Amino acid sequence: MHIPDGLMDPLVALVGFVEFLAVIAFAVAASGSRMREKDLPRVAVLSAGIFVAQMVNFPVGGGTTGHLIGGALLAIIAGPVIAIIGMTVVVLIQALMFGDGGLTAFGLNAVNMAIIAPLIGWGVYSLVKQLVGDASRAASSTAIAAGAWASVFVAAAACAAELSVSHAISGGAYGIAATVAIPAMLVYHAVIGIGEAVITAGIILYLQSASPEAFRPRPRDRTDRIALLTLARSRTFQAAIAVLTVFALALPFYFLYASEGADGLEQTMADAGTDEGEPLLSSPFSYGEDYFAALFAGLLGFTAVMLLALTVMAVTRSGRAETRLE
Amino acid sequence: MIVAHLANRSHAPPYAATATKSSWFIPLDARAKVVGVFTYVVACAVITRPELIATSLIASLAFVACSRVDHTAVGRAYLSALPFILFASFSVFLFSGTEKGIAMLGRASACLMPLLVLVVGTESFDLFAGLRRLRVPWVITTLLMLTHRYILLFTEELSRLKTAKEARGHRGGRSLLDRYGLRVVSSTGAAVLLRAWDRADRVYEGLKVRGFERDMTAWKSSRFGAREVLFCAVLVGVSAAILAAHL
Repeated sequence: MHIPDGLMDPLVALVGFVEFLAVIAFAVAASGSRMREKDLPRVAVLSAGIFVAQMVNFPVGGGTTGHLIGGALLAIIAGPVIAIIGMTVVVLIQALMFGDGGLTAFGLNAVNMAIIAPLIGWGVYSLVKQLVGDASRAASSTAIAAGAWASVFVAAAACAAELSVSHAISGGAYGIAATVAIPAMLVYHAVIGIGEAVITAGIILYLQSASPEAFRPRPRDRTDRIALLTLARSRTFQAAIAVLTVFALALPFYFLYASEGADGLEQTMADAGTDEGEPLLSSPFSYGEDYFAALFAGLLGFTAVMLLALTVMAVTRSGRAETRLE
Repeated sequence: MIVAHLANRSHAPPYAATATKSSWFIPLDARAKVVGVFTYVVACAVITRPELIATSLIASLAFVACSRVDHTAVGRAYLSALPFILFASFSVFLFSGTEKGIAMLGRASACLMPLLVLVVGTESFDLFAGLRRLRVPWVITTLLMLTHRYILLFTEELSRLKTAKEARGHRGGRSLLDRYGLRVVSSTGAAVLLRAWDRADRVYEGLKVRGFERDMTAWKSSRFGAREVLFCAVLVGVSAAILAAHL
């Protein structure tokens, strides 16, 4: 799943890099309160263990083999924040020391394997564990296996989407066509995911029985918990999460039903025989001609508007606070 | 920590140890190498016109040749990445035509070769120290260094476990339905992690004794001198020329 240089459209690679920088900055800041100096060698050994575990190939059938990604494994053992940093280190070593995965594609590789895989793995594991609500070995195995399978499948889906978007917005100069990338990546990784699920569950259950003290969760800092609870109870936060979730889920489907016809003003101009003049300022972006280009433009626009709105809110709030102080 | 790293230099980088000693590229400051190569790779990744891709491919080959790093190691690493590049090029060839397919192959190769020169021609500790000097957060660079050291240890551990498995008659399993095969793979992975976990505390004590203080401290002095400025200027100049021709 390591994307080499020159395969991705530069704009997609840039977006991947920006996403990676934003998440890793948050993870590094958050790890400051969670990771003690004594934990550093432990996290390093776990990352090295994941790197080596990636070298153990397992049989998929028909003479084909797959290997672990390890994102879910690290997230379940060490927690999502540490897993993001640990997996970033693994992907960075693969790129810088072994030439596996490109420099310009590093952001996208890290997003797929160091951010999406551990977060999805940990999220699905936590969700299934709560749904099952049973501390038995079978329930635990189910939750771990579900998390591990989902981590591989969703990371592969993200990689396929990036390849398809690159192909669509570059007119075929970069990426891989969606008709090849999506079925190939999803089918192959759905099978590899089964191996990841079985092996991750096997490894964690073995470790839990052989060394249970390694899995005793550290008591969470009380201030952390209070801050999280306050944030979660905030109505603005709840509304923002609800709106973001609905938009994020709806965006891919919205473009499927988008009409290619002219809008009201364009139709009126066409009826009146008025032509569009030369623009004073030409934008480097366009909405594109097909589904993936439009989806990508939609995602870019959505992110830009959201960031702008948050900045305006922050500026307004600080202005109000200053007025109150006066 | 540094002492420990230097003491284990014989293990260290997979390619740098075999790189040609006479190379002018190897002694360069890692910051210059990272910045120069990254700029050049970004420029190569952006271009789409066939004549520019051909030019950048020739420039990359010239860079490999004149860097005097171990060419066999660069070739071997390139061959291991080639199947994925060929798959992508073939897909582009099927959907967008021969010209774009060949362009993809040329562009990906032009980007990969300087990266492999960086990999082959830089010692691991120099690279991590260079990243630290480029203001990469300490938690990442310290973890990079420690992880790299443990990878070498656990690769040996894994090879010992593999030999032990084979001595007991394990031949790798046949498919995902082979429960025995997957159980052996799981327990091997778990054993590697368990040994790693046990070792971490002992390693921490060892590091403290050697004066470990969270952040890495470079022992060797390294400076961004005239050679580094010249190297960066050449690569940035070539990258700017490629981009200007592209625009």
